[in-house]
Amino acid sequence: MAKFRVTSLVVSAIFLLVSGGPAEAKNGIVIDGSTTVGPLAKSFAAYFTRSRGISVTVSESGSGNGAKSLINGTCDIATMSRSMKPEELAAARSKGIEPVAGVVALDGLAMVVNPANPVHSLTKQQIAAIYKGSVTNWRQVGGPNARILIVQRESNSGTQETFKELVVGKKVHIAASAETQASNGAVKNRISLTKGAIGFVGLGFIDSTVKKIAVDGVLPSPETVRNGTYPLSRPLFMVTAGTPKGRVQEFINLSATPVGKRMIKELGFVGTR
Amino acid sequence: MQASSLQNCNVMNGDGNATEGRSSAFVVSARKRKLQQITRTAGESTLFLIAAFVAVIVLFIFYFVARDAVPFFEIRGFREFFTDTRWYPADEPPVFGALSIIYGSLMVTVGSALIAIPMGVAAAICLSDVLPFSVRQYVKPVIEMLAAIPSVAFGFFALVIFAPMLQNHGGSILMWSWWIMATPLILLMIVVGAELVSSRIEDDRRRKVAQRVLLVVMGALALLILILVGFRLRSIEIMTGTNALNVSIILSFMALPTIVSVAEDALQAVGRDLREGSYALGATRAETIIKTILPAASSGILAGVILGIMRALGETMVVWMASGNSAHIPEPWYNYLDSVRTLTATIAGDMGEADQVTGSARFHVLFAMGLLLLVISFVSNFISERIVVRQRKILSGQ
Amino acid sequence: MNLGTRKLLDRSFTALGISSIVIMGLMLLVVLVPIVSNGIGAIVFKSTIEHRKMLYHEFNRGDKADLQREIASSDASRKEIYRMLDTFDAELSKMDETRQQEYREKFEQVKNSLRALLGPIPGDEEPALARLKYGQTRWEKAEEKLHELLFEKKWDYSNPDEMAKEYEVSRSASFEGTSLVRLFPYVEKNIDRLLQPEWTFYWGFITDSSVDAHFFGGIWPEIQGTLFLAVGAMLFAFPLGVIGAIYFTEYARDGFLTSLLRSANSTLAGVPSIVFGLFGLTFFINTLKVSESKSVLAGSLTLAIMILPTIIRSSEEAILAVPKTYKEASLGLGSTKWNTIIKVILPAALPGILTGGVLSLGRAAGETAPIIFTAAVSVGSAIGLADVLSSPTPALSWNIYNLASEHEAAAEIRHVQYGMVLALMTIVTLLNMSAIVLRARISKKLKG
Repeated sequence: MAKFRVTSLVVSAIFLLVSGGPAEAKNGIVIDGSTTVGPLAKSFAAYFTRSRGISVTVSESGSGNGAKSLINGTCDIATMSRSMKPEELAAARSKGIEPVAGVVALDGLAMVVNPANPVHSLTKQQIAAIYKGSVTNWRQVGGPNARILIVQRESNSGTQETFKELVVGKKVHIAASAETQASNGAVKNRISLTKGAIGFVGLGFIDSTVKKIAVDGVLPSPETVRNGTYPLSRPLFMVTAGTPKGRVQEFINLSATPVGKRMIKELGFVGTR
Repeated sequence: MQASSLQNCNVMNGDGNATEGRSSAFVVSARKRKLQQITRTAGESTLFLIAAFVAVIVLFIFYFVARDAVPFFEIRGFREFFTDTRWYPADEPPVFGALSIIYGSLMVTVGSALIAIPMGVAAAICLSDVLPFSVRQYVKPVIEMLAAIPSVAFGFFALVIFAPMLQNHGGSILMWSWWIMATPLILLMIVVGAELVSSRIEDDRRRKVAQRVLLVVMGALALLILILVGFRLRSIEIMTGTNALNVSIILSFMALPTIVSVAEDALQAVGRDLREGSYALGATRAETIIKTILPAASSGILAGVILGIMRALGETMVVWMASGNSAHIPEPWYNYLDSVRTLTATIAGDMGEADQVTGSARFHVLFAMGLLLLVISFVSNFISERIVVRQRKILSGQ
Repeated sequence: MNLGTRKLLDRSFTALGISSIVIMGLMLLVVLVPIVSNGIGAIVFKSTIEHRKMLYHEFNRGDKADLQREIASSDASRKEIYRMLDTFDAELSKMDETRQQEYREKFEQVKNSLRALLGPIPGDEEPALARLKYGQTRWEKAEEKLHELLFEKKWDYSNPDEMAKEYEVSRSASFEGTSLVRLFPYVEKNIDRLLQPEWTFYWGFITDSSVDAHFFGGIWPEIQGTLFLAVGAMLFAFPLGVIGAIYFTEYARDGFLTSLLRSANSTLAGVPSIVFGLFGLTFFINTLKVSESKSVLAGSLTLAIMILPTIIRSSEEAILAVPKTYKEASLGLGSTKWNTIIKVILPAALPGILTGGVLSLGRAAGETAPIIFTAAVSVGSAIGLADVLSSPTPALSWNIYNLASEHEAAAEIRHVQYGMVLALMTIVTLLNMSAIVLRARISKKLKG
């Protein structure tokens, strides 16, 4: 029995410890959606929690999931790296929700390869051919004799959909041998480890471990994205059910404040204004 | 409840002489007794209901997973799911061929079984029949530790440590593991083979000579094989570290504890009399184990193997993190150095697009995969249970 | 076969068995050693002055006077660097157009490396993100960054038919002939004074919440979420499991129904964990609507179902292990069946039951797949006990996955990931160890 007492003491101690945590006000802001917008949402959230004392939770489960959560009424803001699909809009309206999308930033979809790869420029057609699987060796696009390892994203990713729409074409299947990664960070990591790999990530994720390549002769950068010369770019959205009000509005409007703009820039995205 | 039941028991004991004018506390009216009877039945049925809760849950799991899986087959039919290798759930028009994904699951499961079964069975034999008790005491917790490591920790190891290692030094890793695994095995085979062949020769001196010659010849041959295969393996360049081999190895770690503990139980269940009988007939330990104990325990071991393999098939985090997730049948089909995609990882990864609102095929196909896993696990569980029951019957029959 | 051969076979058989066990032990070591050694590095490491600044600003921790003294001494050395930068800037503006362009980009790289090493350069805009406000907080990372400052990593693209090889160029060589060339040996020589490394035991890694998406700070919200989920699962599963076990051992008659219930139990034990996740999503959240979306409650319920068969099985074993004589004595003394169970059998079986419970607690804490769709979010602050019914929570197991494969800078924060893995394994191992100790005590007691 003594052991039982000790055990129950330990259990209750854990309980006390746990319940001693800060009991925060409910009704924080719940954000769900794209991993591309993730860093931005997380940074905004950290800033917002700190400056306003409102708790913000962020899930990075994909744009599709974000839309779903918004329609089900389980999140306040859906972050999306693509615009809402007609089916999603229809589903939302059937539930009496009118989604309102606000553009918080622009993002270039950068094609990246391993720094060891001497290829520094590809045309859109070449990229499409690689992803379709008709080009399988770097030699075929002016590179060294090495197999191409294609890296793509999960099908719930807005980045993946934007890429398909802008480069490969919606109706075309990407080669089945393509590796699938769950996030921008994972793609970058994968490519930094593999010499023959090619992939695409949001502009904000690029660092020295990977090499961005020029598409149709234009390198992705905040400037080329803003002036529209870089062909692969898309707006990033924060979508709300109805016109945002109160703290949600305040949160979304962060992107227009000086601090928000600075965060957008520091994370490697491009501000809208 | 307690007081009343205590009373109840007194009543039962003193029932016969209740009329003899004992203390009135023991005299209970027929009505009250009936009430107690009812209470007891009610209590017992409550217990039964709670115990039956598990069965209800199992039914619920089947029902709810099937409920969301059926619409998929209604929309798309069975053929595409089971026979098409193309998996393009997001394309226009979508293709939901899960064959390559089922194949991927199969591939990593078979791979892990190939590693885990021989090792697990050998370790179980060792634990139950070879090691002295004092050593066994320390080995068992080690195996339990292996079982307790969370799957995500294994996944993290596979992704962050093992995959880069395989990718950068894959050839040498293959070569060294081949040498480490194969050298003792081949050495044993040579020594035993030489003994076996030469033991037919009657003459003592000639036998020794023959033995030596055989040793030298076979040794040289084995060395050649070892080196040649080793260098062949080293020249392999591994394109990606997140591949079926990586996952198979890690999954075999995870399946091992189950196999070892269930197989050991089966070996222990064989009992002393069989062992002692065999020893009494002059058999060595190896002969006893191979010829007597293993056949007797084989069905129990098989049950353990099935359970272990199921653990590998149902594992999510490791395969999601480290299999590469490309939905294709590797080329050639046995290429373990290519990345694959499994059922569990597809469910975990694709659920993001689970647009439950529209109830699309893309959402329901994941439940179809869940149902498939559920059915497989149910069937294999059933089989392993039957096997264990049968073994128990056979052993108790002896 | 002659005797010698048989003996040899016997020995080699033994050797094979033992070697397989040795290989298993080695496997365990191979997995554990890097995780444990790197995981400890998340708590005990050589910290720089930037770490102490961060602690002071973000958590208000540390001695202000001490810190200011350190900052003053570090700033004295830093001033020289910034003076050199200014000098070079002035020099740059006097150069002709082409040279200016050539140096401008290289100079920007140098400045960025310095920012990574020491934090913002005076005159920079105050960064909004915490990750840019401080230099390197960990010494081993600082050494890497120092190397990046001193040497430029380049790739040799001269042969387009081959994958390029990496090579390094000393930066002081590429600034040969300018005033900046003095900067590199200066930084290298004074790095200790610039960053003032010292060994620290950062207990805050366990108790702090994270700063700026786990760049700094600790993992308390995740630990707390894991505890919530595991304990919550136990609250549901433990009573149910023990009562179920009592039924199976004391009341169930051998028959079709009982064997059906038993196979239901083992079926449930064999269901893949991801299917529990699917079930939790479709049943608890979409059908019962226990909460609007992911919540600790939904996750706990899902985990509870998962660990229920284990609890039933281990409680059954514990109850069966109670010597028959106890029960017979109690019944013989005139106690009822129920009374015997409550007063005699359960107390005697309690340590065994608790052992099973503790083991299941460990399993619930370590599982990931069932909580992906039901409870886990990647970023969130620690939730209060009042919010468990409706709020999702970060949890160790999920966040290990999230940080290792979804975080935007996964490679930069490996130490946090290792720390999380170690924390999770420590929780699980402690629970397991206590179960093993408990069991050893019981078997001793039962043997008398």
